[in-house]
Amino acid sequence: MAVTQPGPSGPAHVAALEAARSELQSDILRGVGGRPALERYSDRVDAMLRQLFAEVGGADHEVVVLALGGYGRRHLCLHSDIDLLILFGGRIDEEFLRAFLNPLWDLGVVIGHQVRELDEFSTLEADNPEFLLALLDARPVAGLRVLFERFRGVFHTASTHAYILKSLLELIDVRHAGFNATLYQLEPDVKEAPGALRDLTAARTIAMLTDPLLLRRGPADPARVDQAEDFLLRVRSSLHLSAGRNQNTLSHDAQERTAELLGYPGAEPRQRVERLMSDYFRHARTAHRSLAWARKGAPVPVGPNLGISRDGIRFLDPIQAARNPATWIGAFQAAIDADTAVSEEALSCVQQHVDRFRADDFFPDARDQSALLTLLKPKKGLYERLSEMHDCGLLGRVFPEFQAISWRVVRDFYHKYTVDEHTLLTIRNLERICTTEVPYRLRFRNILGEIDRPELLVLSLLLHDVGKWRDDDHAIESVRMAVEAVERLGLDADARETVLFLIRHHLRMSLVAFRRDTEDPDIVKEFSAFIGNEERLKMLTLMTLVDVEAVSPETLTTWKEELLWRLYVDTYNHLTQRYGDEVIERNQAGLSDLLKQRPDDLSVTEITRFLEGLPQRYLQLFARDVIYRHVRLARDIHPDEVHLSLERGDGSVWSLAVATLDKPFLFSNICGVLSSFGMNIIRGHALTNPNGLVLDVFQFTDDERFLELNRDGQEQLLHVLEEVVSGRGDVAARLRPREQGVLHARGAPRFPPVVRTDNQASGRYTILDIVATNALGLLYRISRVISKQGCDVDLVLIATEGEKAIDVFHITKGGSKLTEADQQALTSDLHRTLEGSL
Amino acid sequence: MKLIKCIIRPNKVDEVKDALAKLSIAGMTVTEVRGHGKQKGHTAIYRGKEYNVSLLPKMEIEIVVPDNMADDVVKAVVQAARTGEIGDGRVFVLPVLESYRIRTGEKES
Repeated sequence: MAVTQPGPSGPAHVAALEAARSELQSDILRGVGGRPALERYSDRVDAMLRQLFAEVGGADHEVVVLALGGYGRRHLCLHSDIDLLILFGGRIDEEFLRAFLNPLWDLGVVIGHQVRELDEFSTLEADNPEFLLALLDARPVAGLRVLFERFRGVFHTASTHAYILKSLLELIDVRHAGFNATLYQLEPDVKEAPGALRDLTAARTIAMLTDPLLLRRGPADPARVDQAEDFLLRVRSSLHLSAGRNQNTLSHDAQERTAELLGYPGAEPRQRVERLMSDYFRHARTAHRSLAWARKGAPVPVGPNLGISRDGIRFLDPIQAARNPATWIGAFQAAIDADTAVSEEALSCVQQHVDRFRADDFFPDARDQSALLTLLKPKKGLYERLSEMHDCGLLGRVFPEFQAISWRVVRDFYHKYTVDEHTLLTIRNLERICTTEVPYRLRFRNILGEIDRPELLVLSLLLHDVGKWRDDDHAIESVRMAVEAVERLGLDADARETVLFLIRHHLRMSLVAFRRDTEDPDIVKEFSAFIGNEERLKMLTLMTLVDVEAVSPETLTTWKEELLWRLYVDTYNHLTQRYGDEVIERNQAGLSDLLKQRPDDLSVTEITRFLEGLPQRYLQLFARDVIYRHVRLARDIHPDEVHLSLERGDGSVWSLAVATLDKPFLFSNICGVLSSFGMNIIRGHALTNPNGLVLDVFQFTDDERFLELNRDGQEQLLHVLEEVVSGRGDVAARLRPREQGVLHARGAPRFPPVVRTDNQASGRYTILDIVATNALGLLYRISRVISKQGCDVDLVLIATEGEKAIDVFHITKGGSKLTEADQQALTSDLHRTLEGSL
Repeated sequence: MKLIKCIIRPNKVDEVKDALAKLSIAGMTVTEVRGHGKQKGHTAIYRGKEYNVSLLPKMEIEIVVPDNMADDVVKAVVQAARTGEIGDGRVFVLPVLESYRIRTGEKES
């Protein structure tokens, strides 16, 4: 506190202040300028302020003067600012303010003052966290105590505390970063540095905001924490006295003076300094550890109104949480993310209020709906969290369909658990597959890893048995109920169909695998036709596995797993290798709907001409609207033309459709162009019909953001594609700079590539299976080798699963399957290409 | 008494059980087993890689019947479990020397 020019009006105050300062100075000089001395000094300043308050008629006003921050804690140092809040019950009275503050300014003391009306505290001053922190230490000095109590009532709310806690943790990080986050400073700032006074205050504040007994359980005895504080305050006092100002850095010079003042023994200043600094680091370490402990114990904010503490995820403000059911799902997601539980306190809060809300209240908008789906991604902890949700009544509210099977007992010879628990166990089993290391389970873990939207599988599992609330055919009833659930969740049409399909047919695969002769090719063919595509096959395989396993511990044997796996493999092979033999014919099932519902601009002839001779699989791969678009794309195509359509699908995936008449190197040229723009091809289909029409559909991600960053990116890409496919551009030249660059340098393959040809699987084609480490331009290189060998690429299936590219080519040479010699030449060239030697 | 041990295709269990029920045979033991006979399993291919499935999943049904019923049981099982393809299985008939009921300790004749 700097005294400049005493004002004429307050000789008594000057005297009081001088006396207080002298007393503190003499304490400091005796080396005892620590806590007791500062408390006495704070009390004397209090008295002076009270006297002034009385003199200016404070009692006549609805006002209270509060000490804030260090002064509020009665740790006012010799040259610290006097931080005050002058709080009015009603309107601010300027006249009173002037009367009270002017004499203080005249005394030359540095006043840090804030003036507020009580009502202003009804909203949070979020832009001033330091002020909010100082308010936590507010202490009435003069005026209406009852007003102070009213202030406490308004200010100390859980949401304000939650905000302050979050801000405090951020402020600590910033402050520590300013000191390179180490307490071992040669010239420490005894107020700000890590381990200094602010850390002690912060530790106490965190405890006060979260768990008042926190520090008692901490690493340091509370008495040691007090000693550390007293020491740091004594050092600070001595720095203020020596410097004559608010100086807190214990510089080398100041260390000598302070060591002497605090009475450290030693003949030489160096010895005294060493002892002082050794004490400093010891106390600083205590402060630092106390703060670290408090931070560990305190709930760390992990989301809106969510914190993680020792007992799991908590609502930082339970009252606010009780009003906002849309935030509850977030608590369970946060628990999964942090691999912890939801705290009992939070569960009780949910349980207490859950009955007041309807399903929609938990996911009112699209973002909440997608958050709920994210929660359902199979992950460690999902079963535990869903069980918690079920126990506290939330799951049954979010999915009233599920509530219908709560504790439902169905008596049969094999189920061992209630229907709800059986359902949750299927999800636990799936979750375990995510991380299993059991050798014979790894194959299922792999296919789970390949599923695009595994949360749909979990959603299907959650709803697959809800129809069991009634006693008749439960799969049909489950679908009826699930329709409402998927509508509430706003699922897109594809996802909706997948979920309803899985629920409707959840028993089908176990029936075929365990009760039918799966060595009969017709059974596999029929099952393949039923399941339609690999994605659904993978989902139903896993659904069957975890469903059987959840019946009882004995139901799923490794024997049954083997049967299920073989059906999966046979069906997968059928879907990927034999589909070329099953082409669309004039009277194809499903065709009439497609024709009947066609848009006006498409004729029956145009559609059938386009479709005839394409694999039947085409109808299962693409939705009706997409098929119509493809028909238009192929319209009026001439030999030298290429028709292209590029659009952005969900998220970051782009979709490119190319219609043209077959020409040499077509497939490899398209792949090459996409790679030359840095596109990562993740899925694709190449289809050919007997009229020579080629339809290639690629899905790719634009990892380098070319299309996003270049306004004319789409036009550029399409233009180059047209040039290259029609033979006017050279794709090899376009690709060369990329291939030679270090970014895409091909290291050794991560695993040995698999190349296999098969003349048996399909009646018309040689099937070429390739599994290789995914890399830029891989498809281009593979398909170029195939074309160079004189083979025609008739059909292609492209899939990328993690770092693996899984491609199945249906090829012919001169219209027939490849001879043994051709197959050998091709595989050997492909091997050399994939191993990098060609 | 005879012990009749049948190794059959897993999908034929229900049909065999039904056929035995028609002969008023209710008691049997059904076990999931793996093995191969002359068919020696086969090689399956998944994503271009071969893996051996030499041991095939089969079901084993064991029944103990009076001597005079053994032939009928064998006929019923063979009829119910047959598809005509390789891998239909085997039926073994073994003599049973003695049989005891565990609950009472009685020896059965």
